Parts: sequence; C-alpha cells; structure tokens
Amino acid sequence: MRPTDPIKLVADLLDLPIQDKEGRYCGIVDDVELSGSAGKEMRVAALLVGPGAYEGRLPVWCYWFVRKVAGDRIVRINMDKVNQIRSVVQLKCTANEAKLHAVENRARGWIPKGGAL
Amino acid sequence: MNPLEITLGIMTAVGGFVDISELVFAAQAGSIFGYALIWVFAVMTIGIMTFGEMSGRVAAVAHQPVFNLMRHRLGLKLGLVTLFASVVSTLITTAAEIGGVGLVLHYLTGAPYLLMAAVGALVLGASMWILPFKWIERTYGLLGLLMLVFAAALVAIHPPWDQVLGGFVPQIPPGLSEKELLKYGYFAVAITSAVLFPYEAYFYSSGGIEEEWGPKDLPNNRLTTTVGFALGSLLAIAILAISAQLFRPINVGPQIPGSSALEAAIPFGRAGLLAALLGMLIAIAGAAVETCMANAYSVSQFFGWEWGRHRKPWEAPRFTIAWIAFMVLALLIVLTDVDVMSLVEYAIVFSIVVLPLTYLPLMLLARDRNYMGQYVNGRLANGLGWLFFAIVTIAALAAIPLYLLTSGGQA
Amino acid sequence: MLRHCLPLILILAGCSKGAQADLPYIGEARSLAAEWASVNEQASRGHLTAQYVHTMRASVREQLRTSQKALSQPKSDYGEEIAALLKEPDSASPQQLLAHSTKLKQIEDSLESA
Repeated sequence: MRPTDPIKLVADLLDLPIQDKEGRYCGIVDDVELSGSAGKEMRVAALLVGPGAYEGRLPVWCYWFVRKVAGDRIVRINMDKVNQIRSVVQLKCTANEAKLHAVENRARGWIPKGGAL
Repeated sequence: MNPLEITLGIMTAVGGFVDISELVFAAQAGSIFGYALIWVFAVMTIGIMTFGEMSGRVAAVAHQPVFNLMRHRLGLKLGLVTLFASVVSTLITTAAEIGGVGLVLHYLTGAPYLLMAAVGALVLGASMWILPFKWIERTYGLLGLLMLVFAAALVAIHPPWDQVLGGFVPQIPPGLSEKELLKYGYFAVAITSAVLFPYEAYFYSSGGIEEEWGPKDLPNNRLTTTVGFALGSLLAIAILAISAQLFRPINVGPQIPGSSALEAAIPFGRAGLLAALLGMLIAIAGAAVETCMANAYSVSQFFGWEWGRHRKPWEAPRFTIAWIAFMVLALLIVLTDVDVMSLVEYAIVFSIVVLPLTYLPLMLLARDRNYMGQYVNGRLANGLGWLFFAIVTIAALAAIPLYLLTSGGQA
Repeated sequence: MLRHCLPLILILAGCSKGAQADLPYIGEARSLAAEWASVNEQASRGHLTAQYVHTMRASVREQLRTSQKALSQPKSDYGEEIAALLKEPDSASPQQLLAHSTKLKQIEDSLESA
C-alpha cells in the first residue's frame, strides 16, 4: 500500500511496527496526525511515535504511569518519509535521520562492544 | 529442503520440549493417576503443533513475529494488558527454570543451591551474550537430547504397554471421589498450560525471523512442529509412565524435582542417574534461556525496538538490556529462597490465564489473507486452531478455581 | 445427654477440621518418606552418586520439617509419625522408611474418607 492510497486507520496503520530503509526497527505507529476537516477529505499528515502519543489512547491513571517511566516525547514522521505500508511501515530514510533512534543510541552507551560471536 | 537442517530442527525441538513444569507435572500425574493423563499430553501436543506451525508460518510469510502483530490486532490497551500478563507469567517461569538449574547443579555437585542458581544464571547469561541465535537454539536443543534416557528407561522397566497405550484414550478414571475429580481436572489444566506455554509461540516465531525464514522454509516449519513436538511430547509421556510404574505403587508423589532422576537410576544405575540429571539440567537451562529471550522479544516487539540475537548485543541495545534485566529479576526471585515447586505452580497458573490472549491474535493473523496470501490457514488449521482456542479458554477460566480448591493439586 | 456430649462433639469437629486442613502436609510427608526410601534403596545398590544421595536426603528432611511446622495439630497421630520419621538416621533402611510412609497413607486415607 502506498502512503497516498485510501487507508483504514485502525486496521491498516495504527500500532504497526516501523522499519527504516535499512530494515531496522525504530518504533511503532502510536498515533496519527490528520489534516483536513470533518466532511472534507482527511489525509494522514504524519505518524506519531513515542510514549507521548499514548495520551489520548490510555486511561488517565495509566498514562500518568507511562509518563513517569518513559517520559512523554513524541517524534513526528511526515508521510513523505514513508515508502510503503504493509505488515510494517517502511520509511525512506534511516532511523537516525527520522530522529527515531535517540533512546536506542543512548542505550548503546551502556552495552560493551565485545565478546559476541 | 536440506535434510541436515530438517533433522537438526526436529532434534532441537525434541531436546527442547521438556522443561521443569512438564518434568514436575508429568511425574506427579503418573504417580497419582497412573496412565490416565497421558491423553492430555497427547491432545495438547496437537494444540502446540497447531499454534507452533501457525506462528512459524506467520513469521515466514508476514516476516513479522507474533507480538508485533498482536499489538496491531488487539490495539494498545488490550495489547498492554496482554504484554503485562505475559511478561509476569514468563518471568515467573524463568525464575522456576533458573531455580531448577540451581537444584540440578546442587544434586550434581553438592554445592549450595542458591549459589548454584546464581552460577547457573551467570553461565546462561554468558551463553546468550556470546552465542548467536542459531547456536543458542541448537546447543541447548541438541544437548537436551540426553533426556532420551527417560525413553530408554521406560522400555527397560517393561511397563504394561496395553495400559500405557490405553492412556492415550481420553478418559476420566472411574470411581474417583469429588476431591479426586477436582485434582484430576487441575492436573489436566496444568498439563495444558505446561505444553502450551505462551513463551513457546513468542520464541518460535521470533526465532523464525532471526533465522530469516521465508515461504521456502514452510515445509521445515511443518516438520519441526509436528515430528519434533510429537517426539518431544513422548519424552514427557515417558516420564509420566515411568512414574506410574515405579512411584505409584510405593506412594511417591514426587515432592522434590530431583526424584525424577531416580526414574533413570532404577533401571540404569549411576550412568542413568547422571544422564538424567545432565539431560534435566540442559533441558531446564534451555527453557530458562527461551523464556528470558521470549520476554525480551515481547517487550522489544511491542514497543518497536530493534531486537534479536542475529544482531550483536550492542546493535540491539534495548533488547540486550531487556533480557539481562529479566535474567537478573528472575534470579532475584530465586534468591528469595521461594520453593521451586511453588514457582512452577504459579508459572503454570499465570500462564494458562494468558493463553487465550496469546493465541487469539495468532489465529486471526494466520487466517488473514491480507497478511498471509496463499499461505492462509486451511480448513484443518482453522478447525484445530479454534478447537484448541476454546479448550485453552475453558482451561484458563477453570485454572484458578481448581488451584484453590485442590491447594495446588496437594489436597 | 446431648448437652454433656456437645462440647466433646464440638471439640471433635474442630479436631477433624484441623486434621482435614493438614491433609496436604500428611500427603507431602507420606511421599517424602517414600522418596527417601527410594533414594536409600538405590544408594544401597550403588546406583547413585554420593552428592545426589546427600542432597536428596537433606532436601527430604528440610521439606519434612516445613510440613511438620505447618501442621495445625502437631500432637496428633500423624504429627507424631512425622516427628518419628524425622528422628530416623539419614541411612535408615528403606523398609523402615516405607513403614512410616504406609502408616501416613493409612491416616491420609481414613481422613479423606471421613
């Protein structure tokens, strides 16, 4: 499916994993940003990735807990960065270019390089 | 199809089938009810074949593991509930397995149990760090073939084969009191849980992605899940049957996991004992690794992190931190000196409650032509899948009441 | 007459309820005695390693003590039987240990049928 095709938001897009152009996992479609208005054509303008995007999707107490643990950052991925949507959302860019691997890169600092076959 | 790959896959499935829960419940089931619960192992093995084949097929065709697609299917809220429940139940299972590793090392060396649990966890963690996925799976799976000593022991003790075969027929033994009926029900549910542990689907499907399966690997997947799981199940049934033959007449209802090793010591002496203990050690250790990795897979896939042991540990840092954290947490549970048998009971009960949430998305995915194309479920897979989904749902509802009413099978 | 018997009936009912609550521990002790007997039987035939024998005996004792502590009626006949079992030496004869197991099984069966 191409990003410009008609889309079923929940069935086809929400909560799909995201892979960058190198095939690396870099998040989940946690929410979407729409453009347009009621009664007119609606378009998916961007994908929203990060725990901050859970706010409208979880009970208040649950989101409070998520924020305490994981923060409330949101990364916005413009639809022009999306290559195609199938069982995974494939991006046209790398995770670093999309600013999706910030936490992963920080975590990498904790892991020694060596010893693995 | 590469015959060597197929053979190794089947042998790995055989050696990796039995874990501490199956060991404990097979031995107890045999000692209490004789051969009457063999059919539950047999029937539930068909269940794990069904769901195992499905999860491998989904991985090979959709190139996505179960948990990735589970969140997409269930949504965030229900997905989080499933994730939380599955992480807790699998963590308890990991703790039970690490406790089991500690116990077996204690029986082998005489060194203190808790120290051996810590040493065992360290060695397992090191193996997960150093070895790539295929070597992890093959090492524990193939060395676990030492468990074949139980199959040999069953033949050696000349059981009443007509009664053993009769155990494959679904039955409720006649003349049971109400209390015994409840206990029988509890053991049936416990065996269901032990055979159909949710972590097996997560690990197997993630493993398919790790090994970059494609549609060409589907015949291999089918053979591994049918032949491999069937032969593995026969090992668990052998443990049950030996217990029925040797333990039941002398009123042993094994309270100590180490008693299972006597099943091989009685016919084969010291060599049998050592083979049994080493086989148990590797099988339980393999299960500890699988459960730990299954939890790391689940969390990583749910939140879209980079994951997998096909990558070096620093290439998937959050996944690496996750499995280390789960290993440490499981070890900490063991170090509270909680009884390993109690951990096994909790693992069984918690896991069965999660099972419907695990297998429903898998069923929905495997039937979805948008994901699976021509490899969508056929009538047999659909029929068996829904049948076993109904069975695990009933078992999930009955598990906690039966556990309470029978005091965990002890009353 | 009933008024005189009532306290006794209530005491017996209470005792019986306590004994019923102890059934899981009686079953555990019965099995542990038999497991201990199996270990000693196989050890006498040279079928086991020294470490295994030592650790299994220690595990059995530890669990028997746990079961004993959990009893609501430690002075009962089954409580005395478990205490006697714990007094056995590590290398007690399998027959002696099985005798304890059989006795506990009889008590278990009579409580279950009560």
